[in-house]
This record gives sequence, C-alpha cells and structure tokens, in this order.
Amino acid sequence: MVNGLARFAWRSLRARPLRTALSIVGIALGVAVLFAALVTDAGIQAGVGRTVDDVMGRSDLRVGAFEEKGLSASSLSAIRSAPGVAIADPVLEQRTYLQRDALTTADSTAAAYAPPITVIGIDPTIDGTATGLHDLQLASGQGLSPTSTTDVLVPAGLARDLGLGAGDTLTILGLNGPVPYRVVGLLSGAGPDPTSEGRGVVVSLAASTALFGDRGATWVDVGLAAGATVDGVVVALEQRLTFEPFVLTDRADLAASLGASTAGFEALTALIAAVTLFGGAFLIFNTLSMTLSERVREIGLLRAAGTTRRQVHRLVLIQALILGVSGSILGLVLGLAMSVVIARTVGSLGDSGVPIDGPVVPPLGVALAALVGILVTLAAALEPAIQAGRISPIEALRPAHVRRHSLVSQLRWLAAVVVTVGVAGLALWPIALGPFGLGGGATGNAGIIRPLVVYAVLLVVTMLTPLILGPLGRLASLPFALFLPAEARLSRGSLARDRKRTALTVGALTIGLAMIVALGGLAGSAHAATDAWLTDVIPGDLVATSIRPIAAGEGVAQQLAAVPGVATVSPIARFAVAFRGVRVDAAAVAGSDLATDGRLTFVAGDRRAALTALDAGGSTIVPQAVADEFGLKVGDTLDLPVGGGEAVEERIVGIVARGLPGQSGESVLIGWSDATSHFGVLGADAFAIRFVPGRMAAAQAGLASAARGLALEPTPISGIASAINDAFGRLFSLFDALALLAVLIAGLGIVNTLTMNVYERVREIGILRAAGMTRRQVWRMVVVEAGTMGVAGALLGCLAGVILGFALGGVAGLGGPGSGPTIPWLTIVLAAAFGIGIAMLAAFQPARIASRISIVRAVQFE
Amino acid sequence: MAIAAPILEARDLTKRYAFGDTTVDALRGVSLTVQPGEFVALMGSSGSGKSTLLHILGGLDKPTSGEVVLGGETISGLGDDAATRLRRDRTGFVFQFFNLIPLLDAAENVGLPFTIAGQDPRNGEAADRIRDVFELVDLGGKEHHRPDQLSAGEQQRVAIARALVNRPSIVLADEPTGNLDFTTGGEILEALWRSCAKRGQTIVLVTHDAKAAAYADRVEVIQDGVIRDEIVLGRRDDHAAAPLIARLAQLGL
Repeated sequence: MVNGLARFAWRSLRARPLRTALSIVGIALGVAVLFAALVTDAGIQAGVGRTVDDVMGRSDLRVGAFEEKGLSASSLSAIRSAPGVAIADPVLEQRTYLQRDALTTADSTAAAYAPPITVIGIDPTIDGTATGLHDLQLASGQGLSPTSTTDVLVPAGLARDLGLGAGDTLTILGLNGPVPYRVVGLLSGAGPDPTSEGRGVVVSLAASTALFGDRGATWVDVGLAAGATVDGVVVALEQRLTFEPFVLTDRADLAASLGASTAGFEALTALIAAVTLFGGAFLIFNTLSMTLSERVREIGLLRAAGTTRRQVHRLVLIQALILGVSGSILGLVLGLAMSVVIARTVGSLGDSGVPIDGPVVPPLGVALAALVGILVTLAAALEPAIQAGRISPIEALRPAHVRRHSLVSQLRWLAAVVVTVGVAGLALWPIALGPFGLGGGATGNAGIIRPLVVYAVLLVVTMLTPLILGPLGRLASLPFALFLPAEARLSRGSLARDRKRTALTVGALTIGLAMIVALGGLAGSAHAATDAWLTDVIPGDLVATSIRPIAAGEGVAQQLAAVPGVATVSPIARFAVAFRGVRVDAAAVAGSDLATDGRLTFVAGDRRAALTALDAGGSTIVPQAVADEFGLKVGDTLDLPVGGGEAVEERIVGIVARGLPGQSGESVLIGWSDATSHFGVLGADAFAIRFVPGRMAAAQAGLASAARGLALEPTPISGIASAINDAFGRLFSLFDALALLAVLIAGLGIVNTLTMNVYERVREIGILRAAGMTRRQVWRMVVVEAGTMGVAGALLGCLAGVILGFALGGVAGLGGPGSGPTIPWLTIVLAAAFGIGIAMLAAFQPARIASRISIVRAVQFE
Repeated sequence: MAIAAPILEARDLTKRYAFGDTTVDALRGVSLTVQPGEFVALMGSSGSGKSTLLHILGGLDKPTSGEVVLGGETISGLGDDAATRLRRDRTGFVFQFFNLIPLLDAAENVGLPFTIAGQDPRNGEAADRIRDVFELVDLGGKEHHRPDQLSAGEQQRVAIARALVNRPSIVLADEPTGNLDFTTGGEILEALWRSCAKRGQTIVLVTHDAKAAAYADRVEVIQDGVIRDEIVLGRRDDHAAAPLIARLAQLGL
C-alpha cells in the first residue's frame, strides 16, 4: 500500500508542477543558507585552527611583553634556563610605514589612509630551521642570512602589490629615518604573523634592533622539552620572571580568544539560516494546505473507498518527504556555491576578526543540513496531514468549499514549526561544527541567547499576524484604494477568504523584511558607534602616529603645534596592563587636553575633577565596557602589577561611555606621569591634532609635511572612520544578501498563494468578467492583492525589524562598543519598497493566469 | 401594425470545436431574431448547442461563422475590450450555479457592474437602481446579507438583480433554475417574467425544462446544433406548461 500511496503522492505533486517546483526551491533556499552557514562556520573554525598554528608555530607557550621596551635580556635568559623549556625563540615586532614618495594627507578619504606594515624581527638561527618553532615558507628566493642586517623577506601578496621581486629594494621608515633593505625572498601566504594582514615583513633580530633601537623581544615563543607540561612550565616561568610584567598565552587561550571574535558572525549567520528555513517551512505548509483543499473531494473518495486515516496521513507526509528530500539535495548544492561566495566576501574584509581561508564541508554537516530540511518540511506537513485525515467520506459528495481552520490549529502549527526549527538548530549546530560549536565556549551566551530572543520576537509577530489580519489588510489596501478602488475592494475580500493562508504568506514576508531592517539597524548602530567613538574620545581632527615612542622632552608636540592652523596637540601612548591576571588595554593621555577639548562622556564621576586627578597621578578613568566586565565603580582601586613582584594602585575617578580603542577592547586611561614612571611607557606613539576651526583644509598639507619630517604618519579621523565603516559595510552587505534570500522565499510563497487564490475562484473571476470586468482589471486585481500582502508584510516586518535591531544590538561586539539602538529609516524605506516590489512581481504569473481565464469555461467550473 | 426593429439578430451561426483530430459542430447554421421586450426560451436536451448559442449571443464566445447583431451593432467580431464593455453596459447574465462573489454582500454583488465601471454603488443613481431591482426580485431587506446567509433561491434572485441593474438591452439566462427545486425555480422564473412584463426587459432563457420554457412568449427548440422548431406561446399570466408539452409531444420531443 505504501508503494501505491507513494505513486499517488508523486502524481499529485506532478499535477501542479509550478507549485511543487516553488516549494522545492523554497525549502532548497532555506537548506542552502543553513548549509552555507555551516560550511562557512566550519571554514572559520578551520581558519581559527590554522591561525593558531600560524601564530604559535610549533611553540607551546608564548611569553608576551607588556611594556614597550619589551622583554629584557635577563628575562630571555630566565626563560631559556627554566626547567622544561627546550627552545626560547624571541621575536621583536614593530609597526611602521614604508617610505612614500608623496604624502597626500590633504585628501581625507580612505585612500589616503595608508595601512602600516609590521616588521617582524626573528632569529634566523632558530626560525626557518628544521628545529625552529616557526617555518618560513618561501615562494621564491632564499631565507635570511644570520649575519645580514640588510635582508628582508616580503609576503608574496604584498610584494605583488608593491611591484617588488627578489633583489629589489624596500625602504622602511626606521627610528632614524628611512632604511633600505634588499628583498632576498618572497614568503608564501600571509607570512609568519597572520595578525599583520599579509603586511608583515621579516628581518633578522639584528636588523630590527638597528631599525628601532635597542629594545627587548616583543614576545618569546617557548618550545617544551620532552616530558614537560604547559602547566609545569607556566609555574616555573611565573617564579623566575620578575624583571618586568609579562603575559603567558598557550594555544588554547589563543583559540578561545579567536573563537570569541567570530562568535557574533557565527550567531548571525545561524540566525539568518534559521529564519530563512522558517520561511521555507511557511512555503511548504502553504503548498500542502493548498494541495489538500484542492483535493478534499478526492481524499473523500479515497476514504469512501476504504482508505484509513493513517493512510491519508501517510499520503500527505510522503508528499512532504518528496518535497523535503528534493529541496534538501538542491539546497546542499546551492549552499556549497553560496559558501564559496561568503568565504570570498569575508576573506576580502581584511581585519574583520573573522579568519577564513575557504569553505570547509564538515563531515556531519551535509547529513545534518539535509536532515533539518526534511524535519522542518515534515513538521510543516503535520497540520495538513492531520486535517487530511479528518476529511470524511461524505466530503466527496459536497461541492468544493474552502475549509476553515480554527485559530488554535494555526497557532499549534506555528509553534510546532518554530520549536522544531529552534530545537533542531540548537541541537544539531554544535554537532555539525565539531569541537567549537556555536559561538565558542567563552561567548556561548551571546551566541545562543540573543538569537533565541530574536526567534521569540519573530514567533510572536507571526502568531499575531492571523489575529490582526483584518485591520492590517484594510490599512495595507488603503494606498491601492485611492487609485483602484474596485480592485482594492475585491482583492481585500479575496485575502480574507483564507485568513490562515494569507497570514502565513504575509508572515513569511514579515520575517524576511524584519531581518533586513534589523541588520540595517545593526549596521547603522555600528556606523554611529564608530563615528561617535572616534569623535568622542580623540581630542583631534587628525592623528599622527609614530613608529617609536616619542618622549616629551623631544619637543615633537611643540613642533607640530607650531604649524600654522594647528590649535592643540595631545600626546597618546597605547600600552597594556595586567588586572586580575588578564591583559587590559591602557592608554596614556593628558587629562587637561581632554578637558579643554571637551572629549569623553562621563557616566560616573566628576569630569573636571577626574581629568585633573588623572594628570596628578594615582588615578584612572575606565570605560563603561571595562567597568561592566570587572564590576568596577568609581572609588574602586585597580592593583596593577609592574614587575619585580610589585603593584601600583590606581583609583577609579571616573567611568566614561567610550574609551580609546585598544588591541582587543577599550583602554583604561592613565595619566602620563604614572604611565612613564610605573608602566614603562617611554613616550607618545601618537599625537591627536586639533586644527583651528575652519582652517583644517588649509593647514593639513603643512602639517603633513611637518609630520613627515618628524617621521610621523598623519591620518585624518574621517579616513579612519571611513576605512572601518567600509569594512562594516561589506560585512553587512553579506548578511543583507542572505536576508534577501528569505524575502525571495516569501516571494515564492506569494506566487503560490496567489495562484491558489486564482484557481479557487475561477468561477468568480468568470462572473466578474461576464459582469464587465476587463482582462486588465482582473490582472490589476490580482496584483493589488499581492501589493496589499506586500504592504502588510512591510508594515509588520519593519516594526518587527526595529524591535529585532534593538534585541540584536551588539551581538558579540558587532554593533561596536557603546552602540545605542538606531532606527534605520533608509533601510526601512528600501526594505518596504523591496518587499512590496517582490510581492507585486510575484503576482505577475498568477495575474496572467487570472486575466486569461475563459468566461465560458469559468461559469461552468464547479 | 409596424414591426419594431429586432433587438437581437443571429445570422447563420456555426460553432466548431476541435479536440485534436476530432471536431464537434456545436452549432450548424442557427438564425434567430428577438424583438425588444420579448421573452424567448431556447430549449433542447443536453449537448444540443443551446448554451453555446446563448454564450455567442451575449458576446461571451465567438462563432466560427455567421454574425450576431445587438441593437443594430454587429457584436460577434468585437475585440476583448469592446466585448467586455458590451457585457458591462448592454447585456446581463444569469448562470445555473449561484454565481455570486461570496465575500461581498447582496447589495455589493448587485452593484458589481457599477463598481467595475469605477462608480460608487452606494450613492446616486446607482444606489437608486440597486434599490429598485431589489424590490423587483422581492428581496427588500436582504441587501446586506452575505451569500451564505441567503437561500439558494434568494441567491439566484440576487444574480437576476445584478443582471438587471444596468438596464441592459437583453438578459441572457442559462438554466437559472437547473439547480433548484420546483417551488424555488418558480420564484426565479416569476422574477424574470415580472421584469419582462412590467419593465419590458428582453430575455433569452436557456432551459431543458418545459415548465420553465412555458414562461416564455416563444420557444425555439434546438436539436443537434440547429433550430428544429419554433413554438409561439404568446404573453400569458398563467405560465401553464400543458400547451407546450403537448406541442413538444407532437414533435416527438
């Protein structure tokens, strides 16, 4: 009997090829986004693993310097002599700039913002050798000579950008001006330090010391002796390293930290995948419901002929299975193609914090994506199957009619699908990804709870849709009623015919548009936060960065201040402190400059008193994010170790909304006197320069020239902002593209619903035509019907999207620090226009069918 | 006595349907004349071609050859837009099944021709005409009932009201009582007859039922796509079917 049922189910699907194809495409798109997200996230996890390998090489532990002066020779000796240490490999890393022929700092666009390069000084007797901790893979040329101080290795990509080859000269800005180096080899890939974004050039330790002055290693990588453990060596090092503060990082720490930075991306892709699949489920449910209402009489006949309820259930579920399996297979293929595009897009973002080399198909991912697709399809089919089972043999004798469903059954179905998608997603996602799982361990809450909140919002909105459909439909048809009153009246009636079907169709559109609006809000928050951050904390229009610490006594600030048009010059140094065993970014700033310039938004503490206290010493101002992380308040004291087993107490005198950007978060602010006397800060590594109001354009060229003369690289704040916003823009374009797919699925749903609406009222359309309605009027009536659904979906979607935007705000830092909720008006207008446009476009074919209905056949149609 | 110009004239109509290699001749040279205010019944068995003839007379379908002239204008060759205007302004249809829009109330259904023409059926002359036809079909007070709140007979009377509301040149009714019991069918035919007798409405009725055809002034008997006979009954108030049945028996029908 199952074979017979399967044949029947298959023939029933074949009888409506358009509807069947649309449903398969709908579920395929859902599965595709899910699978693409899985493959992308697996690619990211592989990228994290690869990055850990690249960063750590064969080392087990990294001893990092806190202070600019680096780790002293005494520390290096202590590390080398510690029990369990086989190899200690020092690296000196410093950011600097390549010599440029002409500085175009008058240009405030992002193009004028020249990315710095990183000079990585290594010991050629250790690295690049068979026993060393890091491999230097050469694309061409040769390695560094241990004795040479003029050789440089350049990543192949950078060499290509700069038009360099082996034997050419690369001039690097050093402490004492430009120094020429000979390119002896090209490195394959990004080079030895993946954090340098492919702009890390490698020289010998001797060469880097010559370039940047005599300073210690930025870090020392440690290879363990046979039998030694990481924990044992950590204990030994903590006992022996008393010369200056340091931070220890093992491979797991690094993986966790990288994993945390990708959590937001993964959470968002997972969420979009779930939402898209949800839209696909709507489509399937609608398809099966429509097929059912068309075949009531047929099923009644089957029941009269002795088919049991269970067999009818099976018939509907077999249809769902056919749709689910076909859609899932197609979805896997589409998803793989999609993941390649995503990997390329993410890969092109540069410093996005999301490492990915390419898509990686996780072993279980294929099976699980397909399984979720099939499960969701079957869940969507449950209610139609139950309804089909309830059809009595007597139905075969009645004229065709529209079956009405209770509100309870609508809500029951919605809840079933949502719970299935949610539970399946949460259960299967981590398994499919392997050891890391959703959002990594460290940020599990941010990774899972926020998407769940979003899911709940979508659920509430979609469940409310059937309840408010009446007033919503009247409101949505208003714009059409102004110009096409007859068509608007008739189409509104048609939408009220099967409220559940209309509600589901509108619901699918709603959630797709809600995602677009939410992402728009998030992107807006990120942009606003970037701009606010930069303008709120930096006391200048432009930042001139130095490759070396510039001491106050050198008079550089005074020389810059002497440039005509410059109002103020404020020195800034970025460094790190250790607090409660954790590395915290810190910045040395002049409180008086910040007070004069009106920077920093205080959320606690007295502004004037706090900034005065900062300069006096013994005080610190912490950003809200750091205060929240550690549970700090004004009046608390930070005990900050400074080496030699000693610690300095810094009392919190103020909490600010945003702090200066640091390496891995926001920086605590410390006065210059404490920074130099306690934390090893030798001088400013940047100067914030404020121009006299209205004179920036005229003064910029003069300042650029002066800065260059002082070996400084000037960058306008607007340049930094546009570079960051550009990266955000590309990232959000990717998410938008994924969310657009959800709207596309909703469009397919509209095609399905309208086609069904047309087929169900063939006779009515015949009557209207017989009563004098033109083909064009019929066409317009169906298009207005779609437009009304589009407007309804847009109204609800935009509203839900704004709410979602608030709920999603700041998912794992995507919104940026201190980002407040933003209502993305432009996105709302564009999303609404897109949704209404897609809806009306989807009406094209059904409207065509409707307008071509033969009156004679229609009035004979039963 | 001067003979008025016919309101409707069909000249040598043929209609051929092709189904693959097979062709079926539904009409084979039908000519017919209907005078203004006349009630004509087209009678015949299933498949005789009577409904096809009605569809062509009303501009719903086109003949393979021949022509139809309505009010002096040839309508059998009209394009879709012109044929649509014709249906909206000059003809009214009543079909066998209860052809109402279920989501509109009775008054809205009756006012459809106005709505479609872009007029507001709730105001002005349109509203007066709707009130008028509701009285004619004896449905006063049911204006705001939805179709599912009306009986089968009431639904069909609403359909008649809709056909009449635009004061068309001719009303074409295709088996309007085919789906109804005897009593309800009688009410429908009474409504049609009243519009003819009191308002001078020209009506062409298609039926296979002699009792329904007995309401007509004249019966055209169609068989195998041709008019086999014409039976003139004259305008009568009693609608007795006996004379017609006797005449049909004479013809062997």
